[in-house]
Amino acid sequence: MDTPTSGSVYVAPSLPAALDALDEAGSEAAPFAGGTWIMRAPIRHEPLKSRYVAIGKIPELHAIKVDTDVVEIGAAVTHAALATALAELSEFDVLTAAAGRSANPAIRGMATIGGNLATTAFAAADCVPALLCLAAEVEIASRGGRERIDLEQFLTMRSTLAPGWLLQRIIVPRRGRKTAHARLPLRQAGDYPTAIVSLAVSLDDAGHVQSARVSVGSVEPVARRWERLEDALVGHKLNATKAADAAAGLAGEFTGRDSADVPAWYRVRVLPGLVRRAAAALGS
Amino acid sequence: MGLSLTVNGDHLTSTADPITPLIDILREEFHLTGAKPVCREGFCGACMVLIDGKPTPSCLMPAALAEACDIRTVEGLAVNGGLNPIQVALEACDAVQCGMCFPGMVVSLTHLVTTRPEATRDDIRAALTGNICRCTGYERIIEAALLALATT
Repeated sequence: MDTPTSGSVYVAPSLPAALDALDEAGSEAAPFAGGTWIMRAPIRHEPLKSRYVAIGKIPELHAIKVDTDVVEIGAAVTHAALATALAELSEFDVLTAAAGRSANPAIRGMATIGGNLATTAFAAADCVPALLCLAAEVEIASRGGRERIDLEQFLTMRSTLAPGWLLQRIIVPRRGRKTAHARLPLRQAGDYPTAIVSLAVSLDDAGHVQSARVSVGSVEPVARRWERLEDALVGHKLNATKAADAAAGLAGEFTGRDSADVPAWYRVRVLPGLVRRAAAALGS
Repeated sequence: MGLSLTVNGDHLTSTADPITPLIDILREEFHLTGAKPVCREGFCGACMVLIDGKPTPSCLMPAALAEACDIRTVEGLAVNGGLNPIQVALEACDAVQCGMCFPGMVVSLTHLVTTRPEATRDDIRAALTGNICRCTGYERIIEAALLALATT
């Protein structure tokens, strides 16, 4: 029976207590948020850490702060809580959809935004491309201090982050963009997406794209921006068919990841269709 | 020091490792076998229990984090010895299935009927997204949920 055993769990009452515990235990410990990835370690034939620092009871990590220029999201905010909190803010439709349609209702009530960003091996995380297209930053903390960095940079360094660091919060600028999230799960719901396209654009009064950010998740091991497609969209009226045509011409720059359920080529093949859906969702 | 858990109103203790999935303690120590360990990935919903009223896959819940919570399994859903509204409706609609996925469905639907009296057919379908049945279908279960909503 593949069940986790022998890990101790320290339920941290505060952020300083969590950082102290992570610092003192070093590489023997890891943060534990929703647990939806860690608890499946035996199925992946991965060893558990000997010590986990549970961060789910720390109040500040559950906070969502909506200001006029930014939204700040604590790392232990669940997908369900995030989708509810942002539901009325249309500029965050991409993130509401990412958080509100991933997995299934019970998982959305457990899985956290911080876990989604910090789990290096989880290529199909919905919130990663959504936050990339929103130009999010993250704040990481250790007993020695804090750092604020671009999400793109965090994704390149997260697997080598020294023990003792904790993703504390996500900062998302408010720029009045129109945004959309298109995902293709193998089943209609409750499944991992084969591929994800997240789109954020700002339009001028004539409907021309002034700026665009497009990000792609689940196709390659790590989500990333599609900068050549962004360039192709800027200066033109947003048109779903033309955006899909441009995507078809540029999709060759992706190298799909192979898996038992989805072949690599398929993840790339569906990208233009997802670009079309995302652009169409913005009324184009 | 052992784990202290409150299950269906009973105060119980366990000496299992703190990271042990709650499902294993429920079944193997407390002999509450309604919840089933099937996928152990949070996909299938057969291990669903209510933790502080929220449907939670007990395969992904370390026992240590369930301390100080109200844990309710399918065995504890009946009220004062009588079936709750969704249980009554499932029986009335002849919707009861083989028993593998079904306890988890009862748990998820108990939460839905309790918390969302205005729920529609689509809401019911969405609420069951994480409860997978490989035997039959969902239609009679959905009809039962609609009946329970209409009669409570």
